Amino acid sequence: MTSRSIALPRSATRRERPSARQLRQLDPLLLASSLLLICYGLVMTYSVTAEDRSFSGDPSEFVVRGAVFAALGIVLMLAVAFVDYSWLGTFAPVLYLVTLAALAVVLFIGVSVLGGQRWIPLAGQKIQVSELAKVLMVIVLAKWWADRHDRARSITTLGGALLLIVPPALLVYRQPDLGTSLVFIAIFFGIAFLAGARLWQLTALIAGAGAAFPLVWSLLKDYQRARLVAFLDPYADPQGAGWNIIQSLIAVGSGEATGKGLTAGTQSPLGYLPIAESDFVFAGLAEDLGYVGAVILFALYVVLLLAALRLALRARDPFGSLLAAGVVSMIAFQVVVNVGMAISLMPVTGIPLPFISHGGSSLLSICFALGVLQSVAMRREAGAAPRL
Amino acid sequence: MLSSRVPPTTHPRRYATAALAIVVLMVMLSVRLYDLQIVHGDEYRLLSEQNRILRLPVAAERGIIVDRNGVVLTRNLPGFSVSVIPIDLPVATQVALAERLGALLGREGKDVLSAIQLQRTQNPYEPVRLSLKPVPREVALALVERADAYPGVRVDADAIRSYVDGPLYSPILGYVGSITPEELDARREAGYLPDDAIGRTGVERVYERFLRGTYGWREIERDAAQREIQTLAHVPPKPGGNLVLTLDDRLQRILQKELDQGIAKDTFSQAVAIAMNPQNGEVLAMVSTPAYDNNIFVTGATSAQLRQIYTDTRHPLVNKAIGEIYPPGSTFKMVTGLSALSEGTATRNTVVNVTATSFTIAGTPFFDWTAHGSLDFVNGFAHSSDIYFYSLAAGSPMSNNPGVGPEAIAKYGRMLGFGAPTGIDLPGEASGIMPDPAWKQATFDEPWTIGNTYQEAIGQGFVAVTPLQLLNAYAAVANGGTLYAPHVLKQVNDLGGNATYVPKAEITRKLAIPSEQLRLLREAARRVVTIGHASMPNAKLPIAGKTGTAEFGASSGKDSAGRNLLGFHNWFVSFVPKADNTDPTAEIAMVIFTFDSSKTLCELCLNPAVAMTQRVYEAYLATPVKP
Repeated sequence: MTSRSIALPRSATRRERPSARQLRQLDPLLLASSLLLICYGLVMTYSVTAEDRSFSGDPSEFVVRGAVFAALGIVLMLAVAFVDYSWLGTFAPVLYLVTLAALAVVLFIGVSVLGGQRWIPLAGQKIQVSELAKVLMVIVLAKWWADRHDRARSITTLGGALLLIVPPALLVYRQPDLGTSLVFIAIFFGIAFLAGARLWQLTALIAGAGAAFPLVWSLLKDYQRARLVAFLDPYADPQGAGWNIIQSLIAVGSGEATGKGLTAGTQSPLGYLPIAESDFVFAGLAEDLGYVGAVILFALYVVLLLAALRLALRARDPFGSLLAAGVVSMIAFQVVVNVGMAISLMPVTGIPLPFISHGGSSLLSICFALGVLQSVAMRREAGAAPRL
Repeated sequence: MLSSRVPPTTHPRRYATAALAIVVLMVMLSVRLYDLQIVHGDEYRLLSEQNRILRLPVAAERGIIVDRNGVVLTRNLPGFSVSVIPIDLPVATQVALAERLGALLGREGKDVLSAIQLQRTQNPYEPVRLSLKPVPREVALALVERADAYPGVRVDADAIRSYVDGPLYSPILGYVGSITPEELDARREAGYLPDDAIGRTGVERVYERFLRGTYGWREIERDAAQREIQTLAHVPPKPGGNLVLTLDDRLQRILQKELDQGIAKDTFSQAVAIAMNPQNGEVLAMVSTPAYDNNIFVTGATSAQLRQIYTDTRHPLVNKAIGEIYPPGSTFKMVTGLSALSEGTATRNTVVNVTATSFTIAGTPFFDWTAHGSLDFVNGFAHSSDIYFYSLAAGSPMSNNPGVGPEAIAKYGRMLGFGAPTGIDLPGEASGIMPDPAWKQATFDEPWTIGNTYQEAIGQGFVAVTPLQLLNAYAAVANGGTLYAPHVLKQVNDLGGNATYVPKAEITRKLAIPSEQLRLLREAARRVVTIGHASMPNAKLPIAGKTGTAEFGASSGKDSAGRNLLGFHNWFVSFVPKADNTDPTAEIAMVIFTFDSSKTLCELCLNPAVAMTQRVYEAYLATPVKP
C-alpha cells in the first residue's frame, strides 16, 4: 500500500460527532431502498415461517431472530457510515489475511449443515464466514484496483487481482459452497470491469474459464453435476434432482398475478418447496405475493443498485467508487442467480437472495457493505460527479 | 491541502453499461416471471393443488343379493386393496418396489411395474390398484407400518365380493371383474374408475346400475413427505341397492340336490331345472349343472382352474337354462296339438287308430314307440303317441285328418315364444329355432318335406328350444293364455329395506288361442301323469306335465361300454294346479332337462326327470310357499 492513495478528507480529520448536516449527506435512495428491502425480507420470513403448519417449535422464532438481525443491521449500517471508508482501505492487507484465515478455520472446525461446512459457532450463534468474506473481498479488490487506477489496463494489475481472489474462492468452494465462490468471481469481474481493465483481457479470462469447463466438470461433486443436468431437463427425474426446480416453478407460477396472500402459500409449508426461507425464498415470495410482489422486489433492487452506481460516479476517489462497484456486482449477481434459479433460468446453486433470504450473517454482511457505501456517500465531493 | 483531486473513475461509460445491464437483467427476469405467473399461472396453480390435495375416491359398497325370503346369496367380505399413486413413487425406485410388491401380492414384478408405468402415463395423480385379489390383513399391516419403504403405496379397505354358494347360483348371479380400459372409456361419465369392479355376467351385469353405488370422495391435504395433514372435504359414498331376487333358495337347493345326485349316479351328465310362477313370470329356481364357482373369478382364478373350466365339454360357464338350445322332443306336441285345435283341424274327439308302430310314406318309415290302438286327443297326448301327432300335423295313412301344416305349427310355436328370446333379465339368452318351410328354404336352400312336418310335430328335426322357452310356453298354457317375460328380479331395496324399484310383470303377449283349447291341454297334461307316460306312484299333488325325449338314438355310435354316445336327453315340463282340475290356477311350473340320460343301457327306462319332478314338488310344496 502506498500512502498517496490515502487521501484523508477534512471531515475525517476532525473526528466530529454525526451532525444533521452529515446525515443529510447519506444517499437517500440507497438508504430508502435498503430499509425497504430489509423490511420486505422480514415480512417474507414471517410469511414463509408462519404458514408452516408442520413446523414444530415456536413459529415466531424465525421472525424474532430476523427482526433482531434487521435492527442490528440498520445500526451497523449507520455506524459504519460514520467511519471513513479510507480506514478500511488502510487495513485491506490485514482484512485479506483475516479472510483467508477465517475461511480456513471454517474448513477445519466449521459446523456442517445440509452437507455444507459453512458455519463457525461464535457467541451462541452460527456465523457464516463466507458471507462476511464476500464483503471483505470487495474491500480488498477495490483497494487493489484503486491503488493502481493509473495502471488499470496493465495485465499485471488484473493478474494480481486474480491471484488475490483465487485462494478465498477455492477455500469457499472446498466447504463446499460453489455459489459463494461464484459470487467471489462475480465481484472480481465486476470490479475489474468498472476499474477499467482491458476488455480483451477480461474476455480472454472468461474464454479460458469456458475452455476449462470439462476440468471444472470433473471437479464438481456428483450432486452439483446432477443439479446442472436437472437444470437442463428437470422432468428427467421429477422426484429426484429435478424436484427442487419443478416445485419452485410450481410455487412461482401458482402465485399468478397477485399471489396467494401472505402466509397463504401452500408449496413451502407443506415441504414441497425446499429451504423455503433461504435459497428458495424467492419462490415463496412469488407464490405468496405474485407477480406484483416480485416486480416490486425487482424495482427495489434496481433502485438500490442504480443508486450505488450513481454513488460510484460521485465518490471522492477511485477506492470509494470501486467499493460501490464491488457491492453492486455482489448484490446484482446474487439477485440474478437466486431468482434465476427459482424460475429455472439458472442451475441450482445455494446463493442467498440479498435482504430476503433468512440469515443473520448474510443480512449483517450486506448492511456492513451498505454502511461502507453510505460512508462513501457522506464523503463525496458535492458537484464533483461527472455527468452520465 | 490537496491541489488536484483524483477523479473517482476514468470509465463512466462502463458504469453506464453496468446500469444498463442491471436493468436489462431485471427486465429479463420480469419477462420470465410474466410467462410463469401470468401466462401459465393457472396451470401452475392447478399443479400446486394437485401437489398438496389428493382427491381419493371412497368406494361405495356394492349391494348384496338375497333370495325372495331374504336368504343372502352374495355378500361383501372385508378385505384390503393395495394401490400405488405413481406421482409419489420415484422413478428410480419403482423397479425395486414393483418386485417387492409383486412378491407380497403374489404377482409378477414386471406386471406390477407395467401397471405402474401405464398409470404414470395416463394420470399419475390417480391411484392404480395393484392387488388383483384381496390382500390379507398381515400384508396390509406390513405395508402400512413400513410406509417409508413403500413410497406411493396406499392400502385401502376394500370389500371382497363373495358368492355364498358359488356353483349353485353362478349361472344366475354371474360375477364381478375388473373393468377393462375399453369399458372404462365408455363409462367414465358414469363415474367409473380404473380400479372399478363391474358386473361381468349374470345378475351382477344386468343390474350393475342398482348394485353399484356412487363413489364418495375424500380430499386430503398432504405435505411433501406424503403425510396427511388434514381432510379438506369428505363426501360419503352412496352404497348400492340390495337386490331381492324372485328365486327361492329352498327350491334351488332341492333341485340342485336332485340334479347332483343324478350326475353322481351317472344317470345323466348335465342337467337344467327351472321353476317359475306361471301367474307372473317370476323365476323361482334355475339350476344349470355342472356350473362353476364364480368366487374364483373374484379372487383371481389360477390357470389350472381356468383350464379345467374351459376344457370341460359340458360348458360350465354357460347357463344352459337360457344359453343352449335342444330338441324339445315330445314336449313340443303341445304346440302341434294347440295349432291343430286352434285352427280347427282337430278337436278333443279327433281319433287316430294307431294300429302299428310305423307307417311308410314314399319309402320312409315313421315310427311310434308302440301300437297304441285307438286314441283321442287326450289319450294321444297322455301316451305321447307320435303317430297321433304326425296325423294332426300332416295327416297319415292311419287317419283321415288333413293335418294343420307346418306353417300353422310354426305360427303357434312363435306365439308361444319359440324362436325368440323370452326376454328374461339375464344375459346370454339364445333364440332357439322355430322352423317352417320358408326358414328351411332360406337356411338350407331345400324344400320342406312331409318328413320335416312329422319331425317338427314331435319336437325333433330342426326345432330347437331353450329350457326356459319350453317352460315359459307351458306356463302360458297353465295360466290360461298369458305369455310373460320371465324375470329373476323381485325388487331393489335400499339399506333400510325399503323398495326403491319393483319391476312390473312384463306380459309378452296374450295367446290367440281359445281358452277351452288351453283347458283341454291342461287336462291332457294332467292325464300324462294319471294315465300316461309319466307315472307318479303315490302322487300327493295334482301334477300335470309332458315328457319329452330328444332322441339321437344309436346314430351317433356307442362308447366302449356299449352305451349310445349321444342317446337321449330327457325332458319333463310340468305345472301344479291348486286343485286337481283344469283351472288355470297353477302357481308353479317347472322344467327338468337331463342331458345324455341314456347312459344307462336301458333305452326305454323311465324318464329320470319325471321322478325328480315329483320328489321336488312334494318336498318343496310340503311347506307353505310365501308369495
